[in-house]
Amino acid sequence: MPQQLARLLVVFAVFTGGLVVTRHLLIPKTFGQRGHYRAAAVTTIQVRPLRYAGREACADCHADIVGLHGKGRHQTVSCEVCHGPAAAHTLAPVENQLPAPRKRAYCPLCHGYDPSRPTGFPQIDPVSHNPMKPCITCHNPHQPEPPHVPEECGACHGEIARTKAVSRHALLPCTQCHNTPVQHKVDPRLLHPDKPRNREFCGQCHAKDAPSPREIPRIDLATHGGRYLCWQCHYPHMPEVD
Amino acid sequence: MEPLGEVLKQVQGYIYPNEVELHWSLLIVVYPYVTGLVAGAFILASLVRVFNVKELQPTYRLSLLTALGYLIVAPLPLLAHLAHPERAFEIFLTPNVHSAMAMFGFVYAWYLMVVLLLEIWFDYRKDLVLWSAQEKGVRRWVHWILTLGATDLSSKAVRFDQSAGRFITIIGIPSAFLLHGYVGFIFGSVKANPWWSSVLMPIVFLFSAIVSGIALVLLLYVISTLLRSKVVDMLCLDKLASFLFYALVVDFSLEMLDFIHRLYEAEESIGILSQLVSSRLFLSLVILQALLGTILPLLMLGIISPALRGRGSLKTPDELRRLLYVAAAALIQVGIFSTRWNVVIGGQLFSKSLRGLTVYKMQLLGIEGLIVAGFLLLLPLLLLLVLIVLLPPWPEAEAHLPEAA
Ligand code: HEC
Ligand code: HEC
Ligand code: HEC
Ligand code: HEC
Ligand code: HEC
Ligand code: HEC
Ligand code: HEC
Ligand code: HEC
Repeated sequence: MPQQLARLLVVFAVFTGGLVVTRHLLIPKTFGQRGHYRAAAVTTIQVRPLRYAGREACADCHADIVGLHGKGRHQTVSCEVCHGPAAAHTLAPVENQLPAPRKRAYCPLCHGYDPSRPTGFPQIDPVSHNPMKPCITCHNPHQPEPPHVPEECGACHGEIARTKAVSRHALLPCTQCHNTPVQHKVDPRLLHPDKPRNREFCGQCHAKDAPSPREIPRIDLATHGGRYLCWQCHYPHMPEVD
Repeated sequence: MEPLGEVLKQVQGYIYPNEVELHWSLLIVVYPYVTGLVAGAFILASLVRVFNVKELQPTYRLSLLTALGYLIVAPLPLLAHLAHPERAFEIFLTPNVHSAMAMFGFVYAWYLMVVLLLEIWFDYRKDLVLWSAQEKGVRRWVHWILTLGATDLSSKAVRFDQSAGRFITIIGIPSAFLLHGYVGFIFGSVKANPWWSSVLMPIVFLFSAIVSGIALVLLLYVISTLLRSKVVDMLCLDKLASFLFYALVVDFSLEMLDFIHRLYEAEESIGILSQLVSSRLFLSLVILQALLGTILPLLMLGIISPALRGRGSLKTPDELRRLLYVAAAALIQVGIFSTRWNVVIGGQLFSKSLRGLTVYKMQLLGIEGLIVAGFLLLLPLLLLLVLIVLLPPWPEAEAHLPEAA
């Protein structure tokens, strides 16, 4: 063997030997037992405290909500996405209260309009979609269905229908304010629905002493707005205050 | 961290949140640039060794040492980019054969230890033995250690050196292809990124590597010869320039092929990519890479070098020609660096949603900043200087066997 080759072989032998020895010394004992990682890492991770409980764990105490949630469109959004890690809560519910995201700012994290969201994902513009109120006044967070809006008039009065749908008056059917003969939908020019004629009409709901739900804002019918008709100042299909 | 607010102001269209900031910075631009120079310089050396291009002999040893200097630096930008560089050696201990990136260590080690060091060692062994016999002090010992004690200078042993060197070069050519083709492969195999994902990537990388390597050795040859107040061998320089021209032609054709192919295929990404090229990469791609870095040097070399016609289409005095060669080679370096920039940075400027662009804010200080990158580009030259002092590559330094021995 040429002298050069012999010397090189020695050098390479030292190198390879060094590699074998360092491998032996440095590779953790359990490496490769189950795959390309240190098997003991699993036990290291196992002893870390559990923070999430999973949806099934809630059923023991909140069966109603779990049932509701399982049927609704939020079924793929797990409880702890909105309520946070709940492992401690399941063990001692009273000591470990969970937060509930009741604020309006919360839901647009997922539902605010964003072009990167998948096509068809329900999105709204938080600025114009029924502003000011928490989303949960109209949507049940555990079974969110968009509240049904009477749509039949929208076939012809699309603009008004769409405007009203995102207004404070969204939940009022058109027929609440327009007594509409059935014939109008068939032959609209022949028979017109009526329109509110006086301030008292709006007062049915908005007057101080009106027997309507509590959340409706009240005004003093006698003084508010002077003698003008209400819709000279408020557009009835999109009543705004400012 | 980059001043995120600043970047956000310049984001165009829609991009995903994790795309605002680039993950691969300037250092990752330096890395393929440096490995490219290694592969290119080595292939130049193999022209002498394997293909017997006699005119290039004066650059043979210089290109080997250049390759070595740059190869030593090649992994440093990667290490500096890692958050935990001290763990990098683990890829040697527990190799993951399913990950192309994890194989880098082996590609690198093979190239450094089996190819480059061995070839240099066989080539210099005779000189090492003779130098250590003639010199005194530290140099004597250093040279003696480098011989590894293989001091046999019989003509049989010297012949063995030569054939071993030749054999290693023959292995070395595919290895150099591997080293740089590998870098292209890393980018080309990212299927989620339409700017990178292309089978042509390794080949394009390879030829741009050859171009940059030859241009670098040309520069170093001229500068080192002038610094030593020797005469530049114009025959050698003309040959270098011709090879540079041929490599540039192939490189340019491949780039154009890639470009036309993309345009013709017109996949859904074409919109955002053309927006990328015409806005964010206009300077670095159209101006620096294509016009100044490729077309201008192509014209210069095509006209004055003897690549196309016997003594050059335009006869020029040696002095002027030398100057133009140096200018062309310098332009090519700028062009190839821009190429690396356009691949690495360009590939991260557009959103995977194909709907928006971000910007790259280069840092000045910091481990991934301009200063470190500049240092890493200078370091190979310093190493080369040390290597040259240690193993002078000049013909006059070569020791000759005494006739009698
Ligand atoms: C062991 C029974 C038990 C389990 C299991 C349990 N809870 Fe409760 N949870 C309670 C009780 C009791 C309360 C009422 C505590 C109070 O008001 O002091 C409560 C209250 C809540 C509240 C009310 C917070 C509010 O602001 O009104 C939320 C939200 C809640 N639980 C979520 C969950 C979720 C999610 C899970 C499953 C991961 C879960 N719980 C599992 C018993 C349980
Ligand atoms: C999309 C977010 C969201 C998800 C998913 C969700 N919740 Fe809630 N949860 C809320 C909000 C918001 C409230 C507050 C409702 C309110 O005050 O009217 C709430 C209230 C509650 C309460 C308090 C009782 C009540 O009705 O006010 C309980 C208990 C509760 N959630 C349990 C659950 C469980 C169990 C799940 C999974 C099966 C779940 N939640 C999934 C948002 C969510
Ligand atoms: C973690 C993301 C997430 C959060 C937070 C969230 N949702 Fe949803 N929401 C969804 C998903 C997912 C769906 C189902 C979409 C589907 O079926 O395609 C959905 C569906 C809905 C729908 C049904 C729309 C339709 O057209 O039927 C409504 C309404 C809704 N969410 C309201 C809310 C409200 C109100 C909140 C705040 C309490 C909220 N969401 C919070 C993810 C979220
Ligand atoms: C005043 C009641 C009200 C409030 C408050 C409200 N919504 Fe709605 N929301 C509706 C009605 C009514 C619809 C159905 C409108 C339609 O079909 O055009 C609806 C529809 C939706 C839809 C379905 C849109 C689609 O394209 O399928 C989503 C999602 C939604 N709302 C989310 C929210 C979120 C999030 C908030 C809080 C930021 C919120 N809503 C607040 C009444 C409300
Ligand atoms: C088939 C289409 C159609 C449908 C369905 C329809 N409308 Fe109309 N509506 C019209 C047309 C057309 C006019 C305009 C008639 C005219 O100018 O003579 C009109 C006019 C009206 C007017 C104005 C009357 C006036 O005196 O200015 C009201 C109020 C009205 N519609 C309410 C409704 C309501 C409420 C519904 C649903 C219950 C409804 N319409 C359904 C076509 C329709
Ligand atoms: C809160 C009561 C209220 C509701 C609910 C309501 N309207 Fe009206 N609408 C009015 C009033 C008041 C007028 C008269 C405005 C005027 O004369 O300037 C009117 C006028 C109209 C007119 C006449 C054209 C116009 O814009 O002035 C049409 C058409 C109409 N409404 C259609 C509808 C439809 C369709 C719906 C259901 C989508 C509806 N309205 C719901 C109060 C209401
Ligand atoms: C059937 C009952 C009803 C009638 C009739 C009615 N409204 Fe309303 N109105 C409501 C409800 C419900 C709301 C929403 C309350 C809330 O925001 O929770 C509302 C909200 C409003 C607001 C918005 C208040 C705010 O804070 O933004 C105005 C303004 C308004 N109505 C004006 C009118 C006018 C003008 C009429 C007559 C054309 C009218 N309303 C008729 C039920 C009614
Ligand atoms: C001269 C113009 C004018 C007229 C006419 C008018 N309003 Fe208003 N309305 C306003 C203004 C301005 C505000 C907001 C400032 C305020 O709260 O007083 C307002 C506020 C309201 C509110 C919200 C009160 C709250 O607490 O949020 C309701 C409800 C309302 N008006 C209903 C009516 C009804 C019903 C009529 C007809 C009887 C009417 N308005 C007539 C100008 C008018």
